[in-house]
Amino acid sequence: MDLSSSWLSRLPDPLRRGLQRTELGLALALAAVIVLAMILDTQHNYWHNPRDSGVEILRQTAMLGIFALGAAIVIIAGGIDLSSGSVISLSGSVCATLMLLLAPQEMRFNKPLGLGVITLAIFGTLIVGLLVGSLHAWLITVVELPPFVATLASLVGLRSLARALVGYFNEGRSQISIFDERFRYLATSVWIPVILLIVLSLLAWLTLSRTVTGRHLYALGGNENAARLSGIQTNRLKWLAYCISALLSSVAGVLYAGAGAAASPETVGKGYELNAIAAAVVGGCSLQGGVGTIPGTVLGCLFLRCVIDGVAKIIKTSADIYEGVIVGGVVVVAVAFTQLRRARRRGKRFFPGSLGIVSILALSMLIGVLAMLFGQKLAWGGNAVGGIAGLAALLFLSLAWFFEQRRERQQGVRASAALPARKQDN
Amino acid sequence: MTPGHPIIEIEHVTKRFPGVVALNDVSFTILAGELHAIVGENGAGKSTLMKILSGVLQDYEGRLLLRGAPVHFQGTRDAELAGISIIHQELNLVEQLSAAANIFLGRERRTRLGLLNDRLMEQEAGQLLERLECQIDPSRPVSELRVGDQQLVEIAKALGMETEILIMDEPTSALTESEAARLFRVIDRLRSRGVTILYISHKLDEVFRLADRITVLRDGRRVKTLARSETDAREVTHLMVGREIEAVRVGAARHAGEVVLEVRDLSLPWTGHARGWRLRGINFSLRRGEILGIAGLMGAGRTELMECLFGSSPEPPQGRILLEGREFRFAHPAEARNAGIALITEDRKRLGLFAHMTVCENITMCTLKEAVTAGLVSGRRERRIAVDCAKQLGIKTANVDSAVTTLSGGNQQKAIIGRWLLTKPKVLLMDDPTRGVDVGAKAELYRLMDQLCREGLGIIVTSSELPELLTLCDRILVLCEGRLTGEFSRQAATEHAIMEAATLRG
Repeated sequence: MDLSSSWLSRLPDPLRRGLQRTELGLALALAAVIVLAMILDTQHNYWHNPRDSGVEILRQTAMLGIFALGAAIVIIAGGIDLSSGSVISLSGSVCATLMLLLAPQEMRFNKPLGLGVITLAIFGTLIVGLLVGSLHAWLITVVELPPFVATLASLVGLRSLARALVGYFNEGRSQISIFDERFRYLATSVWIPVILLIVLSLLAWLTLSRTVTGRHLYALGGNENAARLSGIQTNRLKWLAYCISALLSSVAGVLYAGAGAAASPETVGKGYELNAIAAAVVGGCSLQGGVGTIPGTVLGCLFLRCVIDGVAKIIKTSADIYEGVIVGGVVVVAVAFTQLRRARRRGKRFFPGSLGIVSILALSMLIGVLAMLFGQKLAWGGNAVGGIAGLAALLFLSLAWFFEQRRERQQGVRASAALPARKQDN
Repeated sequence: MTPGHPIIEIEHVTKRFPGVVALNDVSFTILAGELHAIVGENGAGKSTLMKILSGVLQDYEGRLLLRGAPVHFQGTRDAELAGISIIHQELNLVEQLSAAANIFLGRERRTRLGLLNDRLMEQEAGQLLERLECQIDPSRPVSELRVGDQQLVEIAKALGMETEILIMDEPTSALTESEAARLFRVIDRLRSRGVTILYISHKLDEVFRLADRITVLRDGRRVKTLARSETDAREVTHLMVGREIEAVRVGAARHAGEVVLEVRDLSLPWTGHARGWRLRGINFSLRRGEILGIAGLMGAGRTELMECLFGSSPEPPQGRILLEGREFRFAHPAEARNAGIALITEDRKRLGLFAHMTVCENITMCTLKEAVTAGLVSGRRERRIAVDCAKQLGIKTANVDSAVTTLSGGNQQKAIIGRWLLTKPKVLLMDDPTRGVDVGAKAELYRLMDQLCREGLGIIVTSSELPELLTLCDRILVLCEGRLTGEFSRQAATEHAIMEAATLRG
């Protein structure tokens, strides 16, 4: 990987910025995942029928990507937005409620809506998104709540608000169905979300890497005090960042309402805020702020969705249960990968002391349990595979621990060796 | 360890950062019980060497011998266990914790039940601090202490660990004269207890007062190690810079123009504090082509005054600020910047530098708009602006696209000065601009300030070193506890008179 930095430095500036190590590594990992899924899948879906899988992955990536862009921008600016899932829920509900208010007869009797009604409803929804973002910015910059707290309140509050709204306007029901074909086409067409993601990410990329505002967002995330003392209007930038994030979540909310043919505030987008943050982090954004790129984030989304889809293809049934395990695992592995590479060079130990021993046990158990679950799915026999994999992991990690111990003893140049020579005086 | 024997042997140590060789095949020996000063210009590699010795940097080429045995520290903890402590230029304390908790951080005293024994720790901390002539209450949070006392807390921490080798990186750079004098007494006491001290400084008067031997570094190489008795400041300076530098004479025949900045009855409230005011009733004016110095002890209100003029004070100031006759009330630094005021902040790392960014991005931060065509930043134009600026100010860097953190402290400071000069200010505020910058670079900075001043800029500068103000300034104002207690022209100013005004209690 070190070779890449030398030829990268010779590329023109904007190209180089877009193609840093994280992105290259992600692209390689992506290819590996696809090849692996192709081989391990007993029906070889990716080989025989690449179009259907491709379209599904693209649709899911586009939906996730749209609001993950917002999450990434906020993270780069040194904040965090936990509210996207609930904003998605609220936006779908607001959109459906507006349709219900604008065209009550058509909605009740499942008739097509006018284009004007759809446009107005979507427009109104996006305004609500901007208002939510502004409220976040106000809480953070004026009331001086930490971003985590301000958006946590929205995470918990807005979904509940959406449910109450839907109940209020739709006679106590828990959802509002939307039958209009044209509105549903927004999400089911696939090409609309995909093009939307492409356009939005190009805009975001251009803004972050080539405009003054973008540079200032990085500066804000990297060192807020220095940014303010350089005459950068940090509060306005935060307003912008949180508005972009909420607005993009609203766009996603409209699309999810179209995809589900209903506003169902209770279930839609639940936990998606963490998927968005995960995608940004996998794509190279640092939660400390000031670091990260848009191409990385989009690749992060694509990578996450590919892994989820690949695993679903391999295990066939009830794959949605494993989505959380996959996202969690991918985040840890992706971030740990860069950390470990750095640590390795310094000769740092991975399993030091008693924490190391407990971690080896925990990791072996986790690997065993996962192998048991997947073993059953693949009809290899769950318990046997789980047991063998768990023991193998334990053996392997113990060996790693042993070699670490030995290497350290061989070096024998630890400072403690010099300790006995010290005098004790007071 | 018997005195006079080698305690640390540095053998062929080389350290590379991307684009820069910070240390190049450095070898020398430190004897037990001596005070070994390490001097050199900006970027000579002093701090890098100390970071290797104290375990902060772990990958380097070459070998370290401690008491004759090879060591390779994997962290500061390893170094501490081996009896080496470092007092960094930027102090490393947990500000929210008490002095005692900081002193015992990582080796807390516990009661029989396994709970923290705060009383014992405070008592022992008190004893340690007393040995250092430090009269502070060990239960007070470190954030409430003066910088000089915070430093003594760090030294007490090192003493508590039975440190045998103490590394001090520019320890007096933030101290007032009396605090520095106290530090020197502490150093003498440590030496009489047999502690070996590595003293990094660019203040040659201190070095000649304290050191047994002096090692000179230049451009990452060891130039020479000298016994103090066999050399003088002239020779050491010559070795550091690689050429003779004449004593800096700036300010001759400068002519101040019309008044550019006027401050009338400026006060800055201090809510919730007994004194009630950070600054009270300040009146002064600054002329075009004049360098105005602000002297005062730590906490006298120097930084606060700068902040008021720049719109970044914690509370809005009262009184009037007139720039070229127009009254301004800056609510945000952006307004001050647009009006033509620039501020070089005191704490470079925390308030000035964007550590994630390149040299180029740091330089163009305030004026990126000038490189914009059709809404987009032109990389080529931005780079040209930065390259020109770096050339003009003599910023030593392999490439303006290198990370700004690869620069030495003084070159980082120049990059920040460059950032602000690009905004074409009318008034330049510099809050202790030479903090952590050494002789050669300092002289360059003085000349730069003189030149800017002659071009018609009004400069206000603060410094914790009086000789610096005496060299640079046409006039010196003295602050004491938030009030102006003296004003001296270049002719009338003496260290003695200024110190007297700065310690007036009013």
